Amino acid sequence: MILVLAEQRGGTLNRASWEAVAAAQALAGGMPIRVAVMGESTAAQAGELAKADVAEALAVEHAALAPYTPDAFTMAAQALIAASSPTFVVAAHTYQARDFAPMLAARLRTTLVSDVIGISGTGSEATFTRPMFQGKLVATVRPRPSGPCVITVQIGAFRADAVRMGGSATVTRVAAEIDAAAIRQKPEAPFQEAKQAVDLGQAERIVAVGRGIKSQEHLPLVQKLAAAMDAEVAASRPICDNGWLPMDRQIGSSGQTVAPKLYMALGISGAIQHLVGMKGSRTIVAINKDRDAPIFEVADYGIVGDLFEIVPALITELEKK
Amino acid sequence: MERETLEVDVLIVGGGPAGLSAAIRLAQLQQSQAGEPLSIAVLEKAREAGAHSLSGAVLDPSALRDLIPDFEAKGAPLAAPVQRDHVYVLTEKSKFRLPIVPPPLRNHGHFIISLSAFVRWLSTLVEAEGIDFFTGFAGQEVLFDGTRVVGVRTGDRGVGKHAEHKPNYEPGVDIRAKVTIFCDGVRGNLTKQLIRALVLDEGKEPEQYAVGLKELWEIPKDRIAPGTVMHTLGYPLRQDEFGGAFIYALPEGQLALGFVTGLDYADPLFDPHMAFNRLKQHPFVKTLLDGGTLVRYGAKALPEGGWNTVPRSYMDGGLIAGDAASFMNSMRLKGIHLAMRTGMLAAESAFEAIRAGDTSQAGLKRYQAKIDASPVRAELYPVRNVHQAFGYGLFAGMAFAGLSILTGGRWLEDLRSLPGYARMKTLAWYYGLDVPTLKPSNAVAPDRRLTFDKLTNVHYSGTAHEEDQPSHLLVDTEVCSSRCGPEYGHPCTRFCPANVYEILREPGQPPRLQINASNCVHCKTCDIMDPYQVITWVPPEGGGGPQYNGM
Repeated sequence: MILVLAEQRGGTLNRASWEAVAAAQALAGGMPIRVAVMGESTAAQAGELAKADVAEALAVEHAALAPYTPDAFTMAAQALIAASSPTFVVAAHTYQARDFAPMLAARLRTTLVSDVIGISGTGSEATFTRPMFQGKLVATVRPRPSGPCVITVQIGAFRADAVRMGGSATVTRVAAEIDAAAIRQKPEAPFQEAKQAVDLGQAERIVAVGRGIKSQEHLPLVQKLAAAMDAEVAASRPICDNGWLPMDRQIGSSGQTVAPKLYMALGISGAIQHLVGMKGSRTIVAINKDRDAPIFEVADYGIVGDLFEIVPALITELEKK
Repeated sequence: MERETLEVDVLIVGGGPAGLSAAIRLAQLQQSQAGEPLSIAVLEKAREAGAHSLSGAVLDPSALRDLIPDFEAKGAPLAAPVQRDHVYVLTEKSKFRLPIVPPPLRNHGHFIISLSAFVRWLSTLVEAEGIDFFTGFAGQEVLFDGTRVVGVRTGDRGVGKHAEHKPNYEPGVDIRAKVTIFCDGVRGNLTKQLIRALVLDEGKEPEQYAVGLKELWEIPKDRIAPGTVMHTLGYPLRQDEFGGAFIYALPEGQLALGFVTGLDYADPLFDPHMAFNRLKQHPFVKTLLDGGTLVRYGAKALPEGGWNTVPRSYMDGGLIAGDAASFMNSMRLKGIHLAMRTGMLAAESAFEAIRAGDTSQAGLKRYQAKIDASPVRAELYPVRNVHQAFGYGLFAGMAFAGLSILTGGRWLEDLRSLPGYARMKTLAWYYGLDVPTLKPSNAVAPDRRLTFDKLTNVHYSGTAHEEDQPSHLLVDTEVCSSRCGPEYGHPCTRFCPANVYEILREPGQPPRLQINASNCVHCKTCDIMDPYQVITWVPPEGGGGPQYNGM
């Protein structure tokens, strides 16, 4: 059996949970899959996930799960795992999973394979690939069979839209087993910063801008294009370094790693530090004046030209629709 | 402000070969002699031991043998014993092998190592002794009581780009010690403070430096026998430029390849990284690398000046060892054994001084006596003028090196020298009225297979810093834009091997210096070479920097 730990916040299911389900389906090879959503009241989110081809969706509920704390989530997950002895526990490699999955694996005295980007084989024969050294190397690992193995999958490595649907899973509400007195963390309200922070990993379309934009005054042009495409704005390092955009919009080895459906790179030369943060995008469109820019080596569509001519034309066309 | 304070007997700043040898020696002294055990702490700015350690490297095991006689049983990572030495003189298209390898470059009985791996191994011995080894903590500031060194303040954490305190702000810790041993490496930021504050360079020759760029490659295993050591002179440098290449063959098809350039060149448009790229395009090197892959990149300055440039290395409450005090033999291209040896001697001096209850300058002066009686002086004194002679060109330098060996360096007055940065000429002096564009004079277009641009190379150094922190390169931008730019054409953009310095030219605005501090590989070249001496390297938030696995 495979247990998927889905993630919700404030009643909204994290899109990456679908990617975790897709990964579990790739891994299952006939094993049944159960999906669990932890929170105070998660029947609705479990109901959404029950539409996938899985055996059962669990709403794991407890008042102590309303705010996220690593202790409560670890306890709830540990109890769930003890009760059902899954072969694998799969979660998306979100900030939340990064926080509690290592503790969960340690408590279970089992293996954690984090940031997985590929699975080959199924069940106990499965091997996992994961990046090392900032994506320069890819390691293939096979966990030793010693109880449930915890897997976290990189955002974007598995396609949410590849989830097989059409199962007729039941939704079961489970009261989480939590010793509230043993929760050591007392979460406070999220920081203002955290409220504004964008999780670019969630974006389906990204318009990224680089040094080719020349000055901060030209940013509205990019923002206009992003608005017309319903995309998030991101940037390469020089732009964030100059303070033209906040640092949480930086893509690359010192920023975020993203894999949206569409990544549009405007005036980005494509230094390797940037490429490691976006090369997993499904479709990459690059606009750059320099035909030798390395960005064209990874682009699916490349336009050699002046972004100040091309972007306004794109906006005009997009706004016609 | 309230700061945490830690009191120890001996504080060692820098977990490289000198610092870790000092720690091991202290532990040994403790075991062999009765008495109250000393408390010892080692500070290291890298996130883990060895992560910032870069060298060629060929290890002369003499100091290692004295420090850890059973080093083989203890699993010292000595990758390959040296089997053969070759020295080549390169011209643009061909090479000549010197029929006789000059004695200083004979490496029989030595080992090719990864210094990073070696330092990591030393650190396991230190930790096994129960010594506190604080990785990820940089020494930011020397703590003085008058002229007495009383310890070191570590850097603050959680400071944002505009000096604001972030939610994770933690002020640095004051570590106070009876004796502080400074092993902060070449152009160490704390040793620099000490030299200025206590005028430790009084009566000494100005320090001389070089910068070494290194790449680790994987090449087909049968191409070159492990244990092969090759050095080159000549191309791509000109006759008046100091430097050369090293090529060391490790087992399993690993090849350490590097290029050292004296930081005393005259041409303001010279670029050491471009020289390295040119070397790789030379048929000799190209044939070695073809079909291989780049694994790692890094850069580090070297103290080349020798004996006459060693600052006074003892003071009230403090000692300096290793590269920080310029203990390197530039003629043998070696310093690890001297770093280890001076670390050991510093440890002995500190131990004896503490036991005798006198850690003043007078009590610690025994360090100098120990050095004078040791193989360090025996090795460095006879060749004390050799690097300075290279200031007169390659052939003068080689002739002088030969004479020094024959005579033991006894016959001449000491050569005087200028600091390397002062030898850089202005654009107008070097190029006359015909000032070229500000491209490097030795520019080549990288092919992204054998040769790379700096930014790509930086990626292979594994360098990472917390992005939201103040720049750790402090630059007087007024001098930069009004003097250095017009006169020298912003040489920092060329001598930095990590693309930290960029001049942005936007239409209608004066050129603006952009500092990409998070690219910095901590080589210190900018602190050394900028002609107006207006760049100061300070440690970034602890843990940041390169990741030199295998280097």
